Amino acid sequence: MSRARLARYSLWQFRDFVIDRGIAIMIIGLLWGYTLIAPMRAAMGAAFDVGPGSPAWPLVITVTSSVVSLSVLIALNGVVSADRKMGYYRFLFSKPVSAVAYYAQLFFVYMAGVLAAMLVLAVVLHTVVPTFKILNFLVYAAIIYIAMGGIGFFLSVATRFDWLTLAAVWLGSRILRDFYGDTPGWKSKVVELLPPVHKLTEVSMSIITSGTAHAGAVVWLLGYGALFLALGLLLLHRGSLAD
Amino acid sequence: MAVLPPTTPDSHPAALVIEFRNVGKIYRSLLGNSVKAVEEFSLQVGEGEILGIAGPNGAGKTTLIAMMLGYLRPTTGSVEINGMPARTYVERNGIGYLSELIAINPKWRADTALVRYATLAGIPESQIPAHVNTVIEKLGLAEHRDKKVKALSKGNLQRLGLAQALLREEQILVLDEPTHGLDPVWTQRFRDIVEELRRPDRTILIASHNLDELQRLADRVAIIDHGRLQRVVSTGYDQTQQTTTRFRLTLATGHERIRESFPHAEEAGKGEYDVTVRSIQELNTALADLMSRGALISSVVPERSVLEQQFREAVGESQ
Repeated sequence: MSRARLARYSLWQFRDFVIDRGIAIMIIGLLWGYTLIAPMRAAMGAAFDVGPGSPAWPLVITVTSSVVSLSVLIALNGVVSADRKMGYYRFLFSKPVSAVAYYAQLFFVYMAGVLAAMLVLAVVLHTVVPTFKILNFLVYAAIIYIAMGGIGFFLSVATRFDWLTLAAVWLGSRILRDFYGDTPGWKSKVVELLPPVHKLTEVSMSIITSGTAHAGAVVWLLGYGALFLALGLLLLHRGSLAD
Repeated sequence: MAVLPPTTPDSHPAALVIEFRNVGKIYRSLLGNSVKAVEEFSLQVGEGEILGIAGPNGAGKTTLIAMMLGYLRPTTGSVEINGMPARTYVERNGIGYLSELIAINPKWRADTALVRYATLAGIPESQIPAHVNTVIEKLGLAEHRDKKVKALSKGNLQRLGLAQALLREEQILVLDEPTHGLDPVWTQRFRDIVEELRRPDRTILIASHNLDELQRLADRVAIIDHGRLQRVVSTGYDQTQQTTTRFRLTLATGHERIRESFPHAEEAGKGEYDVTVRSIQELNTALADLMSRGALISSVVPERSVLEQQFREAVGESQ
């Protein structure tokens, strides 16, 4: 019964995603892609041929993978914390609804929303760059949504400044791994506990290009995100909705 | 099912619905500062009862309600509803809740907000339009139904908040400052609505600053201050109660006889007298005596309601 009513409510959640976040993701994705790829295309003219192995291919990978990361940040910004800050939780959860189930569903509805937005962007890019594989890109987007989104979800439950905190954690992990990842001693061991952002370059290039990636890297990314998603749900279950 | 002792000698024991058991809540900041919002609060609320919660600002009323809905975990003690932890009960059954601050997404339309809440409340899809129309009609929101929430006035927003609480036939209703922002017409209408909501199997909690409102609506009122339950007052007149009470008497005729029946009556205006009695029996005896002397009484009004008097004493004592 509770599942059925939540499932019906998912249509409202998806609608909210489209209006509040989906449109912004589409605009940013289109603008970013256009401003980076259009000048290249104009400069190369008829010689424009971007495919795996071409010098321009890494740029396509960088742009598309950055759009995915940014989309996840936009999608999960305030996913839990905004309801708590604004007090919307009061009426929502006076109804016979579990907050844990509600937000778990929201996480996956927003995932569907991000993937739908990525699909539209990928189709647009595919018309310009025919070698760009839409399905590969969607697989990559799904992995990053779980990996990065899981951490974002946890931070949204735990803090009020989740967007900022997630960006700091993501960027900070990248910097610390670059500095200490390969050094001997305890620092590299501690750095190993940070989000596996160092796997992103390898995974994005591999999956978007060929649709395959090192299984260990993918499992590490997915496992890390899933663990934090579970921790976020546990914190929701054990903690208080009100401050 | 546990039962409560009768609240008055002629009432029946009510089934226990809500139980606060030695509840305490301490807010702690990251810097280590702590504030005790609620302390050792114990109270039982029975089926069919309307319980008022009164207290000055910051007394802990809203914190208590947040713990009752499971939005806050008590630091000590427990809150149970129908024998279940509060949050478990709410997740399974729902509660009709009107919060003090009406927080509804300002971008939503008034009627679609109600459709959303009705969906979450588990009202079958085919019945949602009828439920939504009923509450819109009841709360006089028909002309505002297409408006965005952000375009609603404070009073209309309050009515929308009440509308979402009444979407379903809930066994428990919790109304936190329900007439806040309502005009006098809707304040009166709200009282009528609450009277209509009274049912033997429904429990209603009303937290309010408005003692007059609680006196009219509630069966009992829990007076809290500084996070502690100061006393629980029955709003009906207790015949056995021996409390000095002041009344204002208005006489149509027989002014010259007033001191024969009320020797300490003080003149308060044209034909008006303030009299102090120790019990309702003493008042009635003296009034009967006054009437037997030929006086015509046009009104007898207590200077303060029983609740107001108790509130002053309780809050005064705790200061």
